[in-house]
Amino acid sequence: MPYEIHGLSVYIYVGLVMLGVIFSLIRLAIGPTAPDRVVATDILTTITTVVLVVLALFFDRQIYLDVALVYAVLAFTAVVAIARFLEGGL
Amino acid sequence: MIRRLIALLVSLYLGYILYSFVYVHFPFGERPLRGVAAHYVENGIKEEGATNIVTSIVTLYRGFDTLGEVTVLFLAATGLGLILAGMKREEEEKPEPTLIMETVTKHLFPLVLLFGSYIFIHGHLTPGGGFPAGVVIATGYFMMFIAQRSFTPSEYLLSATESFAGTLYVIVGLLGLALAFSFLDNVMPLGIPNRVFSAGIIPVIYIIIGFKVGSEMTGILLHLKEA
Amino acid sequence: MNSLILFMALGLSVVLIVGTIIIYLSKDLLVAILGSAVISLIASIFFLILQAPDVAITEAAIGAGLTTGILLYAMKKTGRYEDD
Repeated sequence: MPYEIHGLSVYIYVGLVMLGVIFSLIRLAIGPTAPDRVVATDILTTITTVVLVVLALFFDRQIYLDVALVYAVLAFTAVVAIARFLEGGL
Repeated sequence: MIRRLIALLVSLYLGYILYSFVYVHFPFGERPLRGVAAHYVENGIKEEGATNIVTSIVTLYRGFDTLGEVTVLFLAATGLGLILAGMKREEEEKPEPTLIMETVTKHLFPLVLLFGSYIFIHGHLTPGGGFPAGVVIATGYFMMFIAQRSFTPSEYLLSATESFAGTLYVIVGLLGLALAFSFLDNVMPLGIPNRVFSAGIIPVIYIIIGFKVGSEMTGILLHLKEA
Repeated sequence: MNSLILFMALGLSVVLIVGTIIIYLSKDLLVAILGSAVISLIASIFFLILQAPDVAITEAAIGAGLTTGILLYAMKKTGRYEDD
């Protein structure tokens, strides 16, 4: 591990992220209506961005941040497209 | 129900076979590089000047394959346009986009274009390159024409950009053939690694590919929207 | 590989499998499209864990908006619900 982050706090962090992933996954699986599932997917996208940033910190490579930036800039588009589809304007 | 159960069992079994095979034969990152891979990793920066070795493999060592890939994408876009050209377009009432949507996309669009150009200009230094950059730009256009009241990119301009970029790619390849006796050879000076102006023709090719893929993908989405 | 990354990869592969099962079982094709978006997210994280940033950035760019858009247009032309 090239970048020594303080041991315990990282474990707590990863555990919390996994908790968020699991809860939004449950909402994606059982969500009664389509908008529930869309919001769950959006939350998963945000969590993914954070996980990618943490991986860049973890591997100590600044260029990995570009991947996170792609999601940060473009994740909005899918939600807008699905919202327009649901209101019938795509 | 019974069919689904059988399918589940078969896929579990296939997954187990794949896992055991890969786990036994290819432990992650423990085999030393051999043959042509070792050559790329050792001499890639010296020979082609690109810090991102994947880039120099994609555009120079295996440049002809990339040209073929771009051709395949062009053919796919053309075929889709051909299929959708025969479909009738039914006129329907569409609800107007809200003010929030319009304002946000209007201000986000230049940033998306800037980010796309960053990816293809820095293709030889950071991960990415022409294909992801073109897709990012096309996604920006897609965002614009689903969320704006009146925004239609000119179809003529799109196909003109696409054809011009394709021709330019072949011309760059022929330049290598004329000056260094090899198609798509690195004929420009290599420069110092880790600078923007380095790695010879790699940035040139990636700028061309970025424009080409961006206009093609925008064309596909536009055809799908209008059909 | 570090045990922390291994733990993260284990959790994320569970998400991958659950996403596939959601796609497989749902009759609403919009849910299937959402599931494929989730799978592309997790695949991008996996590519970065395996230290292939070029592949990860391509997967991210294509999965973030373009696939969803094309599939939505296709679904609009064919129909939303799968009939048995």
